[in-house]
Amino acid sequence: MEVINPRAALLSNFEVLTLLRELEQEQLAETRAALTLKKETTKISQNGSDSNTFVPNQPPVPEVCENLRTVEFEAIAHLTAPFQPTARQSAAGITKLTRSLRKYSLTKAEKLQIVNLAPVEPVQLYVIVEELEDRLSSQMDEILGLVQDSLAEVPDGEGLEDAEGIPDIEDQDQEFVPEVTEDLDLEYKEETGWNEDGLLDEFVDDEGGFEGDLEADEDNE
Amino acid sequence: MFCLSIIKDTVAVSPSYFSLPAEKAICQELHKKYANRVLPDVGLCICVSDITEAGEGKIVVFRLVVFRPFPSEVILAKVKSSSEDGTVNFFDDLYIPLNYLPQPSAFDPNEQAFFWLPDSELTSTIEMLDTPLTSRMYIDRNEPIRIRIESDEFFDDEPGPTKAAEGVLVQKPLRRSPYQVTCSIAEQGLGPVAWWDGSGAEQDVEMKED
Repeated sequence: MEVINPRAALLSNFEVLTLLRELEQEQLAETRAALTLKKETTKISQNGSDSNTFVPNQPPVPEVCENLRTVEFEAIAHLTAPFQPTARQSAAGITKLTRSLRKYSLTKAEKLQIVNLAPVEPVQLYVIVEELEDRLSSQMDEILGLVQDSLAEVPDGEGLEDAEGIPDIEDQDQEFVPEVTEDLDLEYKEETGWNEDGLLDEFVDDEGGFEGDLEADEDNE
Repeated sequence: MFCLSIIKDTVAVSPSYFSLPAEKAICQELHKKYANRVLPDVGLCICVSDITEAGEGKIVVFRLVVFRPFPSEVILAKVKSSSEDGTVNFFDDLYIPLNYLPQPSAFDPNEQAFFWLPDSELTSTIEMLDTPLTSRMYIDRNEPIRIRIESDEFFDDEPGPTKAAEGVLVQKPLRRSPYQVTCSIAEQGLGPVAWWDGSGAEQDVEMKED
C-alpha cells in the first residue's frame, strides 16, 4: 500500500455531502432491487411445487460494509446539522461565491473556510481571515453579502421549504425586496414561481385584485 | 475539513463478487478496508471518491475522501462532553485541553460544564466558582461551537503481547485513539456559536437566561 499524495485536493463540505448522499442513494436502490428480486424468486419457488424447478442463482447483493454505513451516516448527520450552513448551500451558489471571491487576495484555505462556514457576521470573518483589518477592512461587507447571496439561492426543488418562514412575512417583506433587484434572473424566476403557488397573495395583502385571488383559490382546490 | 488522497493499493476481489462490474467490486473491497479507519499521517478515511487506474493485475490507484482538518482551520462542531481535562467534540477525538479555553475559565462540577468569565481578572478556580451564575458563560453539552485546529497527532498503539507479572495479568494501559486533534476556543469569535451571534456578549447572556 502506498500513499501517492496524502492531500491531493481540498474538498468543501458541500462536495463531500453530495458524494455521500449519492453513495447512500445507490446503496438504497441496490438494496431495494435485491429485495424485489428476492421476493420474485421466493414467489416462483413457492408457486412451483415441483422440486425440480430451477431457481437461478441470485447475483450477489453488494453488501454495504458496516464501517462505511457508520461513517456515512455520521458524516451526513454532522454536515446536515442545523448549525452548519451546508444544507442550505447549492452547487450554483458555491460556484458563484468562489468566483466572486477570486478578486480578493485570499488564500485557498481562507476561501475554502468561507465556503464551509458561510460567515454572515464580521466577527465570524475575523476568525477565518488573518489580519482582516489590514487586508480587507473595506471589502468585509461585500464578502459577507456575497456569502449571504450564496445561501439564499435555494435550488428550485426545495423552494417550497421556505414556506415554513412565511408566518414571519412582515419581517421578510423587507428582506426579500433587495434580493429581487440585485440577483440574477434565477432569483426572479423563483419569485414568479411563488406566485403560482399562491404564496405571493399573502405578500400582496389583497391588493392583487379579484382575478388574482380567484385564480389562486382555483389552484388550491 | 476534508481532502482527497491518492492511494495505490493491491485489491483482492473475493470470487463471490466476480459477477459484479469490476468497479463496484473494487470499491466494495476498498470500502471494507478503508472506511471509518485511520491512515497514519493521512487522516480518517471516509469513502472512495473514484478509481483512477485499475489494471488487469490487482493494483489499483484510487482517490479517497479523507477527514483531516489542517492546523489553524476553523470548523463547526458540537460539544460531546466536558471533563476536568477538557472538552470533547463530534467526530470524537477532537479535544480542547484546559489551556485552550478562553481565559479565564473554570469547571463547574455541579453543571459538569466549563464556563467563561469574560472581562474578568480572577485567576483561581475557587474565586471563579464564587461568581454569580448570571455572569458566567457556560459551554454546555450539545452546543454547537466554533473551534480552531491547533495540531493533530497520529498514534500507532499496537497491542503488545499480554504481560504477566508474578502470575497476575498486567492491565493494559488505556488505548489511545489512533487520531487525535487538539483544538482551541481561546480567541474572539471561537467557542459557542451563540456567544457571537448578534452584537456583543451582553446580549448573549440575556439570550442564555431566556
